[in-house]
Amino acid sequence: MSASRTVQSIPFLGPLLATWRGRFIAVFLLAQLLIPLHYYAGRKDPHDERFAWRMFSPMRLARCAPMITIDDKPLQIETEFHFAWIKITQRGRFGVLEAMGARLCAKHPGSEVRVSVRCTYVDREDRTYGGYNMCNVPEL
Amino acid sequence: MAKKRARKKAGASTHTASAATSGTASSAKSSGAAARHVATAAPAPAFFFGYEVAWAKLLVVRVVVFGMLALDSLLQISHAPRYGAGGFNVAHLPGLDALGPGRVAFGAGQLVCSYLLVLAACGVATRVALPIATALYAWLYFGSQLDSYQHHYLVALVLLLACFVPWQRPPEARPSTPVRTWAVRLILIQLGILYLWAAISKMSPAWLDGRTLSKQLTGGLGELVVSTVGWKSAAGLTMLTELVLAFAIWIRPAWRIALPLGIGLHVLIMYSGLEIGLFAWLMLGFYLLVVPDRAYVWIAERVRIPRPHVGSSTVAWSAAIACLALGLVLARVVRLPHALILAALLAVVPLATVARRRVPAAIIAAGLAHVVAIALWLVVDRTTSQVVDYYRYWGGDSRRRGEAAMAESAYRTLTELEPEAPSGHLGLGRVLLERGDEAAGLAELHRAQQLAPTKATAFLVEAQHLARAGRKAEALEKARAAVAAEPANRRARGVFTALGGDAATLPAAAAPSAADDDDTEER
Repeated sequence: MSASRTVQSIPFLGPLLATWRGRFIAVFLLAQLLIPLHYYAGRKDPHDERFAWRMFSPMRLARCAPMITIDDKPLQIETEFHFAWIKITQRGRFGVLEAMGARLCAKHPGSEVRVSVRCTYVDREDRTYGGYNMCNVPEL
Repeated sequence: MAKKRARKKAGASTHTASAATSGTASSAKSSGAAARHVATAAPAPAFFFGYEVAWAKLLVVRVVVFGMLALDSLLQISHAPRYGAGGFNVAHLPGLDALGPGRVAFGAGQLVCSYLLVLAACGVATRVALPIATALYAWLYFGSQLDSYQHHYLVALVLLLACFVPWQRPPEARPSTPVRTWAVRLILIQLGILYLWAAISKMSPAWLDGRTLSKQLTGGLGELVVSTVGWKSAAGLTMLTELVLAFAIWIRPAWRIALPLGIGLHVLIMYSGLEIGLFAWLMLGFYLLVVPDRAYVWIAERVRIPRPHVGSSTVAWSAAIACLALGLVLARVVRLPHALILAALLAVVPLATVARRRVPAAIIAAGLAHVVAIALWLVVDRTTSQVVDYYRYWGGDSRRRGEAAMAESAYRTLTELEPEAPSGHLGLGRVLLERGDEAAGLAELHRAQQLAPTKATAFLVEAQHLARAGRKAEALEKARAAVAAEPANRRARGVFTALGGDAATLPAAAAPSAADDDDTEER
């Protein structure tokens, strides 16, 4: 109760939070300031720049070559997934590669589905991610 | 209780102009005085709840921004076949993979979105059309990572905020009538947040030394940078511009800085050669909010559009029904999938919203907005490659993933809709050959070769088919024809030599190019 009164007494913020419109504004602004922060603070995939307003960033120039094998046989990815998804994996997005791995594991039970992606960057050394059986370890 | 009432009063921030400012003022001067009166009476914090925009400005922004968004929606339809292809989807938000749109839903959703946004642009049923369009747009965007354009995320956010803007004309409004709207202030702040994070993302050595920019800007603009400020300075200036805009765009006194800077930045982006769709145009549309209100008022008071006398509601309803019929006639010739059935269903929206009002002008406006929305579908259908691309991409992806029947159906529809489009015949020829129907397949390939005599692909497909059938000499001749059609095509030259042809006998090619599959989506 006292905390609520304390907030109400804060100039600008108090009156703002007194109405549903004001609370909507506050939540919206807070979300828009914090969501992009997630890219820098907590996102495990450096290629995934969604919701971070990183237009034309150096990471946008990353070029990745995905590779999927099923029981050590290379998969022609375009025979399984739409080309638009392949383009996304060529930007190295882990979430899509992991979903592809999960789908192939479900489609080929008992098989080893290995997913790896090699990326080249303008601002860091080349790096290969993954390479292990996605049916056992479903994350890159 | 009294406290609750006071709070409720304070929250009434999306009022149109109050009685004191509702156009009874006889001049801009008196309107200005009224505006000041409202400003003093604004509920706290006045920064949001006292924010006012001239009616003329709101009107122009409504028409331009929603008009552009309607067009942008239609320009997404060719990408519909990628949605739900092979039953695979990854949504933007966890747990929504299964709820993402499929091909039909995406195409229909964009048509509906476009229609509703045209209604909003025309000021018809905005309180119904905008929330529905926003929900639909959010579903189409957040439902799949196939659309990862950041500007579509921005559009989803702006549409959400736009639902709270009073877009309807206040009673007896004059161009200068102030309209109180916290949501417009929030839209400007949202743009500022975008610029702020964009600038922060550029605070890295790879951007600041110009490396990143030099790899992204090509063509004339790249040459201009090299011959003037250089990459490093251009990169630094870009970041600095975004940083300034992050604050200047939502602070009214700073608009004189934000306007030229922002327009300059986005005009340059427009000429950068980057594949960003309508992003730069859309941002320029948002800058209409940064143009001072007095500019709109000044123009509006000189360009007076007469408001025609409509007559009785009976006359208005007759006109609206005629518009409805005209809309259906137009929809009948629109080739975008499901256009006619959607047009018939959507006609209910504008008419239902004006049915109770019995205001003749509103009834006619609803009918006209319906016609404009369907006319936009038709214009996009007939002036862009949306329809051809839709079936071409659908057929190409289905063929590659082994769904031959679906591929054949897509290509057959394409050849019916666009008999002169070589891609339909090429794709159909491929599918028929793969199915073993050689005569029909070759006939389609020959038609594609006739329609596109300077493209190698149809010749190459035939050459490869003949080679597989053991008809080496005929295959070699077709490969030679492929090179003759497109001398710079690297794949054509490769197939010719692989079949035993002598490369020395081929015409020279200045800059060999790799051939892409004709039916592959590149975005």
